[in-house]
Amino acid sequence: MAAAPAPPADREALRPLAWACAAFAGGVLLNCDRVPAWTPATALLLIAWRLTTERSGARLPGTVARALLALAVVAVVLWRFHTLNGLAAGTALLMLMSTLKLLETRARRDQLVMVGAGLFLLLAACLDRQSLARLPLYALQAWLCCSALAVVASAGFGARAALQLAGRALLLALPLAVALFLFFPRLPGAFWAIPRGGEALTGLSDSMSPGSIVKLVADYDPAFRVQFAARAPPAEELYWRGPVLHDFDGHTWRRTSGVFHLRQRLQYLGTPYRYRVALEPTRQRWWFALDTPAQSPDTNVLLTYDNQLLGAEPLTEPISFDVLSYTHTRALEPLGAFGRQQDTALPPGANPRSVGLAQTLRQRAGSDADFVQAILDYLRTGGFVYTLTPEALGADAVDDFVFDTRAGFCGHYASAFVTLMRAAHVPARVVTGYLGGEWNPIGGYFVVRQSDAHAWAEVWLEGRGWTRIDPTAVVAPERLRRGVFDLLPDALATRARLLRGSAWLTGLLQRWDAANAWWSDHVVKFDYSAQLDLLGRFGIRSPDVRYLGWAFTLALLGWLAFIAWHIGRSARPAPPDALARAYARLCHKLARIGPPRAPHQGPLSFAATVTTHRPDLKDSVHALLARYAQLRYGPAAPASRAQDIEEFRRAVARLSLSRAVGGRQ
Amino acid sequence: MNAVSAGDSDAATLVTVLGALETVILGKPEQIRLCLACLLARGHLLIEDVPGVGKTTLAHALAHVLGLAWQRVQFTSDLLPADIIGVSIFDRASQRFNFRQGPIFTQLLLADEVNRASPRTQSALLEAMEERQVSADGTTYPLPEPFFVVATQNPHEQLGTYALPESQLDRFLMRVTLGYPDVAHERELLRGGERRELLSRMAPALSAAAVLRVQRAVRAVHVADALLDYTQALIARTRERSDLKIGLSPRAGQGLLRAAQAWSYLAGRPAVLPEDVQAVLPAVVAHRLERRDPTGGGDGDALAREFIRAVPVPP
Repeated sequence: MAAAPAPPADREALRPLAWACAAFAGGVLLNCDRVPAWTPATALLLIAWRLTTERSGARLPGTVARALLALAVVAVVLWRFHTLNGLAAGTALLMLMSTLKLLETRARRDQLVMVGAGLFLLLAACLDRQSLARLPLYALQAWLCCSALAVVASAGFGARAALQLAGRALLLALPLAVALFLFFPRLPGAFWAIPRGGEALTGLSDSMSPGSIVKLVADYDPAFRVQFAARAPPAEELYWRGPVLHDFDGHTWRRTSGVFHLRQRLQYLGTPYRYRVALEPTRQRWWFALDTPAQSPDTNVLLTYDNQLLGAEPLTEPISFDVLSYTHTRALEPLGAFGRQQDTALPPGANPRSVGLAQTLRQRAGSDADFVQAILDYLRTGGFVYTLTPEALGADAVDDFVFDTRAGFCGHYASAFVTLMRAAHVPARVVTGYLGGEWNPIGGYFVVRQSDAHAWAEVWLEGRGWTRIDPTAVVAPERLRRGVFDLLPDALATRARLLRGSAWLTGLLQRWDAANAWWSDHVVKFDYSAQLDLLGRFGIRSPDVRYLGWAFTLALLGWLAFIAWHIGRSARPAPPDALARAYARLCHKLARIGPPRAPHQGPLSFAATVTTHRPDLKDSVHALLARYAQLRYGPAAPASRAQDIEEFRRAVARLSLSRAVGGRQ
Repeated sequence: MNAVSAGDSDAATLVTVLGALETVILGKPEQIRLCLACLLARGHLLIEDVPGVGKTTLAHALAHVLGLAWQRVQFTSDLLPADIIGVSIFDRASQRFNFRQGPIFTQLLLADEVNRASPRTQSALLEAMEERQVSADGTTYPLPEPFFVVATQNPHEQLGTYALPESQLDRFLMRVTLGYPDVAHERELLRGGERRELLSRMAPALSAAAVLRVQRAVRAVHVADALLDYTQALIARTRERSDLKIGLSPRAGQGLLRAAQAWSYLAGRPAVLPEDVQAVLPAVVAHRLERRDPTGGGDGDALAREFIRAVPVPP
């Protein structure tokens, strides 16, 4: 036969490599937005090059060239990242090194390594991000890799057959994965934590300068979600406290660093609100809570003197915590001298006109409370406008704002208000955080978005303590009612308006958000304590890891047994009928005097085998087996078939294997 | 009653046919039986072997003993389709084109060294084999009944040959390989004279009409559901194998069953048994199966035996 390695044969040979490359490319694409663009670009280019060389049969680089290339890759990664550790550098290194593996991918084993690299990149992506939206991508990649394994392992698999096999295998493995997820002993703490560097902080920062909040306004991402245990506070009380800012240099407000005050004792007034906050990772230290939290939700979190929750570490994973908050309080102690000094300090000589205005108004007012009211009246009646695109302000920013531009947003008003208060020696501070939140009826929670970022003020009033004043609410009361979007300039708001424009789309978004919240709460945050909770529900109360191990092992064995049973069942033939049983009995009987019937032996060839061992039985055995052949393969017998089979059965029973006279030879 | 006696006498005659053939081709009763079964199953036959083992003699003997009209065409690289099918010739007297039938218009065509002809000529022959008719100048001429092609080829000769592609190999119901005779028969061959001379002294045992009758009887051999199960399992097995380029086609499956019927008929059985399928399986499937990796494992024959061993006969 003339063997013709024509193009089709080539394509056939290319298939496993192409699948391995596809699995690897999938892994590259999953990580491509976490590493600089040149990394995936290099990887994909090399994949394409490798596939073309395979087609054209060009030579691959030699050992020396490959070693030099590997060294060069390490050097480039070191040069660009200054480290080989960490997620970005590690991923880039893995990506590039596995790409180099392509240069020596010849045998099936090398292709398996490529698929393994694809799976490893999938793992890297899973460690990095676990959002619900990426789940289908991860599932697809797992499917692709498993199909590639099937094709590489056995070239006979077509694309469809490989995908089917891999899909079925993955589906069969799914319950096992769930069992692993639920019962595999989890160690408290994230021991796989990977140093992450160079990632942008999201959300509020610990300083506020004109324009800093407006950057957030166009950001529709959720900052956190809140579920109230009972009644939720009214919308105008939904002030979510973030960084409290004390230091002002005339332009930027900052948190005071290095100052430690004891928290004052407070009398809590009004309704207590119990709720659970699910916070997205901010890479910042503060945890957001409603107005005044009563105590810290976690031992690692400090409730500061200005009622902030401050964590020990920046938040890199999503977390949930339960808090109890009040929206109204009364101070039980006077403000200390140091606190008073800190919260009345102003940069000397700055904003002279505002200082003058404040002092005049303070002299006219009878008390600090009256003075606050007077300033608010001034803001209300002074022709102030709420806008998210204010004019730039000069060196005396507050003066410019109060007397010239009179247009700004929450940051301007809070800054100006606190400056005016401090000018009259009334202690005041800027509070940044979020205002409001969107009620999600599907999940039963509020979602607070970055666009809800807000800044307001707190003033110290004798006899009442720190009191929340929102000067923006005076100027633009609609900001409280409707949120910031209706006030946005068109360019920023188009997308948001589009999203909120249709009720259908809003519903869809709320559903999606609820699904995300569920995913984040129940899957991503499923940790050791959640595992113990779950086991507790099944009556296992001991926090012993061994129980988990046993549960896991039992689940594993149970499921493997099911898979074995499932496979065995599909391979099992139909139950034997009466004729088959009789035939089996005959074969069994005949096996006593000679070799048993081989599975592929038909009745007549078995008869021949038997008669070579016992020529004396030739006639009876032959007759019986021929009878069977006729019953099984002959023309469909008339109504007497059942009777014929019964007769055959009896004949089998009657068959005597003893030798005729003469006995054994 | 008449038909039955005719059938019985045909069956008896076939035994003498086999005997006669065995005197011509010595020591190859299995292959002779396969060849005869192939023709009785209305299949075309490919005899593949090295020169000088009696391919042509066997084909010749088959035609002679079955009492069929036969033609022989020696295939060469310059053979044209018209050389087989025929050609239209302008007749001056009648001022018309007359179709002059080629050698294919016969009951048994011996196509010697079929792989020497160009693919064009091969495909003309193979189309005629499948359709059992010939089209020339817009007219369709049916071929005689019965119509068999017995082709021979030498597998070891590569230079200047055109290997038959899988699609065309599929049209041969069986491929039979003769092989060298064993020592005793070789000695007998050496002692005896030219085997073909024996043929001239032999009388044809059957006739075209009898062959057609036997063909009908073969198709009437009973095939039970249990046997269909077994056959399907065998065919499915060839499609599961990942190291094969292609599994058996449905046409191959039909052919397998027909060949088994013929084999069963030759053995004088009223119904097909798994043993019959196993007996014809290597000859029917070996030339249709090809490994992806030509170096791995044995040839198609070994493969077929593997299938037989791998598929259990249901009880």
